[in-house]
Amino acid sequence: MRAFANVHPAVSMTYFLSVLLISMFLPHPILQTEALIGGALFCATLKKRGRAGDIGFYLILFVMIAITNPLFSHNGVTILFFLNGNPMTFEAFLYGISLAGMVVGVLLWCKAYSEIMTSDKFLYLFGKAVPKLSLVLSTALRFIPSYLRMSRQVGRAQKAMGLYAGKSLTDRVKNRMRVLAALVAWSLENAMDTSASMKARGYGKKGRTSFSLFRFRRSDGILLGACIFLLALPIVGAALGVTEFNYYPRVDKIETSFMALVIYTALGLLSLLPFILEVKEAVLWKYYRSKI
Amino acid sequence: MEILQVENLSFRYPKADQNALEKVSFSVQSGEFVVLCGHSGCGKTTLLRLLKKEIAPVGEKSGQILYRGNLRDVQFDAGKVGFVQQNPESQVVTDKVWHELAFGLENMGLPSEVIRRRVGEMASFFGIEGWFRQRTEQLSGGQKQILNLASVMAMQPSLLILDEPTGQLDPIAAADFIAALQKINRELGLTVLLSEHRLEEVFPIADRVIVLENGQVLLSDSPKNIGARLSEISKNHPMLCALPAAVRIWQGVGADLPCPLTVREGRDFLERNYTCRGKALPVPEIPNEAECAIELKNVWFRYEKDLPDVLRGVALKVPRGKIFSVLGGNGAGKTTLLNVMAGLEKAYRGRVSVGGKSIKDCKGSLYRNNLALLPQNPQTVFVKDSVRADLMEILKTMEISENEAKKRINAIADKLGISDLLCRHPYDISGGEQQKCALAKVLLSEPKILLLDEPTKGIDAFAKKNLKKILFELKREGMTVIMVTHDVEFAAECADICAFIFDGEVLCADMPQKFFAENSFYTTAANRMARGLWKNAVTCEQVIECCLEEGEKQ
Amino acid sequence: MKKWISYGVLCLLIPALVLCGALLFKGKQYAWISLCVALLSCLPVFLQFEHKRADTKRLILIASMTALSVLGRIIFTPIPGFKPVTAMVVITALYFGSEAGFLTGALSALISNFWFGQGPWTPFQMFAWGILGLIAGLLASLLKRNIILLSLYGALSGILYSVIMDVWTVLWADGGFNLSRYVAALASSLPFTAIYALSSFIFLLLLGKPIGKILERVQTKYGI
Repeated sequence: MRAFANVHPAVSMTYFLSVLLISMFLPHPILQTEALIGGALFCATLKKRGRAGDIGFYLILFVMIAITNPLFSHNGVTILFFLNGNPMTFEAFLYGISLAGMVVGVLLWCKAYSEIMTSDKFLYLFGKAVPKLSLVLSTALRFIPSYLRMSRQVGRAQKAMGLYAGKSLTDRVKNRMRVLAALVAWSLENAMDTSASMKARGYGKKGRTSFSLFRFRRSDGILLGACIFLLALPIVGAALGVTEFNYYPRVDKIETSFMALVIYTALGLLSLLPFILEVKEAVLWKYYRSKI
Repeated sequence: MEILQVENLSFRYPKADQNALEKVSFSVQSGEFVVLCGHSGCGKTTLLRLLKKEIAPVGEKSGQILYRGNLRDVQFDAGKVGFVQQNPESQVVTDKVWHELAFGLENMGLPSEVIRRRVGEMASFFGIEGWFRQRTEQLSGGQKQILNLASVMAMQPSLLILDEPTGQLDPIAAADFIAALQKINRELGLTVLLSEHRLEEVFPIADRVIVLENGQVLLSDSPKNIGARLSEISKNHPMLCALPAAVRIWQGVGADLPCPLTVREGRDFLERNYTCRGKALPVPEIPNEAECAIELKNVWFRYEKDLPDVLRGVALKVPRGKIFSVLGGNGAGKTTLLNVMAGLEKAYRGRVSVGGKSIKDCKGSLYRNNLALLPQNPQTVFVKDSVRADLMEILKTMEISENEAKKRINAIADKLGISDLLCRHPYDISGGEQQKCALAKVLLSEPKILLLDEPTKGIDAFAKKNLKKILFELKREGMTVIMVTHDVEFAAECADICAFIFDGEVLCADMPQKFFAENSFYTTAANRMARGLWKNAVTCEQVIECCLEEGEKQ
Repeated sequence: MKKWISYGVLCLLIPALVLCGALLFKGKQYAWISLCVALLSCLPVFLQFEHKRADTKRLILIASMTALSVLGRIIFTPIPGFKPVTAMVVITALYFGSEAGFLTGALSALISNFWFGQGPWTPFQMFAWGILGLIAGLLASLLKRNIILLSLYGALSGILYSVIMDVWTVLWADGGFNLSRYVAALASSLPFTAIYALSSFIFLLLLGKPIGKILERVQTKYGI
């Protein structure tokens, strides 16, 4: 996952937003399939652990959504059979599958997003537009682990005094609540130290700048350009109505005009972009290694 | 040239009935290393914060503070006076090390390229490169404090003020921090004003020491003269027990010679001036047949299945009614050992027995009337909004009537000297006081065995002396005390038995005299001075006793 | 001045974006519009907060309360549905005002999703928790007086939270508002909603006073 993680945050953010927008809001079977495959391949390059369990979860979710749609929606003209007097239609089944593909695809892309757009990149992007809020976010993010540590310490200290050390649900809930209250007192007291430390370093003066370690390189520029170009095509397509696709009352035919094919290719490239980068990197690396 | 001049500074907090500072006057020369010391609550923090206008406390103020001869409001901005506080944890603002270094520079409105350079410079000066891209939460306390120092230094201050910066650090991290300060002072010529209660390391490098007492400047002199001037004021001045071991020994023998500051000078002083006929102090025997309060047999522990062992076959016997101290460095497994004894962690192999009974068999009965643990951070003990309410709470769960509870609270408060703190909020009192109150709460469960985790962390010499007294009294009443600590001086003074833990194993357990006399590095400063002169002399008092008995050289 | 221009651009650009999106994504325009509405309704509070003079203590307090409510969501993970987030947001709003309540709510949603997973539901959660905090802040003087009333508000906000979130579930899945699906979604999340409402009730009943006292103490001690 090194290749795409090292891309400039502005580029990766643009990328994720474009893919998410298209897969969420353009309900077209080809586009959704492409996004789904791209998302799945991307996630596959991300992490090694827990993949088997994840696949199971997504499959179950997929089937669940696909099956339940006809139960709620009785639109469509091709009636397959009746269930409790309600018509189950072919169109609703297909729409259910498309819906499931969309939901799972979006979930996969969100997962990849969480993995790549770590909090520091997020903060960098919003640090310039909303500096105060992003400082609040950054500070809160840094507080959480230390509060978590403290909450464990308080819990132990209370247990070792024999206070609410039982295993019953009420004892557990009570104990956690006491810990939370104690934590509030402790954390606010410490927060005042933090604010002193901020003021001591001149926070609150006018003309604050924002620093980061990220650099916008030439390759980032190229990637950004490619990304915008590939995004523009489906959007133009949507505006011209090429990507319009209806399931009700009857399932439309998939368009195969030249314009439509261009759009399918564009989105296919877009959603496979991180995977391609990844593979390219791996191949290059192997190649360099073999030369040494 | 004078960089800082304080003239007749008085200060009173709102609603307080007396001044926190009373006509304080002193000055600091450019490039000087000045140490400010005094009893906790003497006004050190108030004074230092007043010198930094951004965080100055609110209240009535009179007198003047001049920087380079100007009133400070005229020219000084945040970057010119750097300030480092005591708690390493709460001063860190952002979640990444590099961002923390840049934080002050961002506030000053510097452009990215300048920040990038200064941050890089600071990171390499302080040896931060290795953890430059880490999250701040992953750092140790010592690293955090170095980071705090570095991020203040990145702003290029001309005066650095530090308020007990090593108070929460272990001795090794503290020594590293002081070394970094010395480097800054020597190599960059930066003026340093530091308040500190651990004086062993800072005394030798300070140019001047200022002693505050009750909000007034008691003394301002070079470190070599402080001992003599303090004993001029009073032979038993409470400040004397906070001074480095060499100064205390020198003061105790009442010599008319120049005062030694370091172990090397102290040793030289003893060798030159005192006759040594190899006197050996008597060592009491460990009573072998004594009953065990806690016994560990071949105890193994790890936090998770895939993590390495923290305890590897620990075997330990703690005799009843003694003060037992476990010493060891960072990560040796001290706190883990204590938690295993307290039943907070479970050993996966071996046997822990408390009072002759296996710890697995005494689920509910382990804590009340049996065993209690005082954690490292006393703040973890408090959950209510006053000390009294906290003490009340534990008695309530023990189903004790209200009248009886009040009686017990008053009794324990008298015993520990916290009667006037009962109505206060636990966060409004000093670290030493917090610890006493936490101890009171723990003791109300009437334990027979008391476990202490790092009891001297963050408290000053007076509070330590006080704690020692309390522990002796508890021992007299028959309680078994087990403490784990970094503090060799405190262990040497208090413990009946010391054990050394390293790499998850208890290597040896012995009487403190023998224990420290056989270690050559991991021992008290007094012992390092008297090594080879007198056998078994471990504390300052024992060295002084030897000196006085053997007599001066002719 | 520069700031005002950027605000102006934002205020023009965003409605334009909403309109274009609605025209483009015909099939999904309701989901798109609702997403934009959720985001847009967070913006005024955010921008107002940005524009005010920096009060460091207040800023850190909001960060601290946000961290605490996220922490609550984490420490109570073993008990499903039993979460103190709404309670913490409400308490913050009572003592530090509507704005602080909104920010704590919105930021808690944003941050906790760094742990629990970001997604198109994030803006909705931000909006839902934010608005619950905002309302609590407006009712502060009333709710502070009576602990039962406060706890009831907690229970109600627990329910409201689910109601708001389910609107999104349906819009997103169906592309339009399908009543039967909405009812089904509400019904399927009923046990969850019940526990959530109950937990907010219990949290406010038990913690409302003690935490309130702590916040008041900090307010007077540090002059906030």
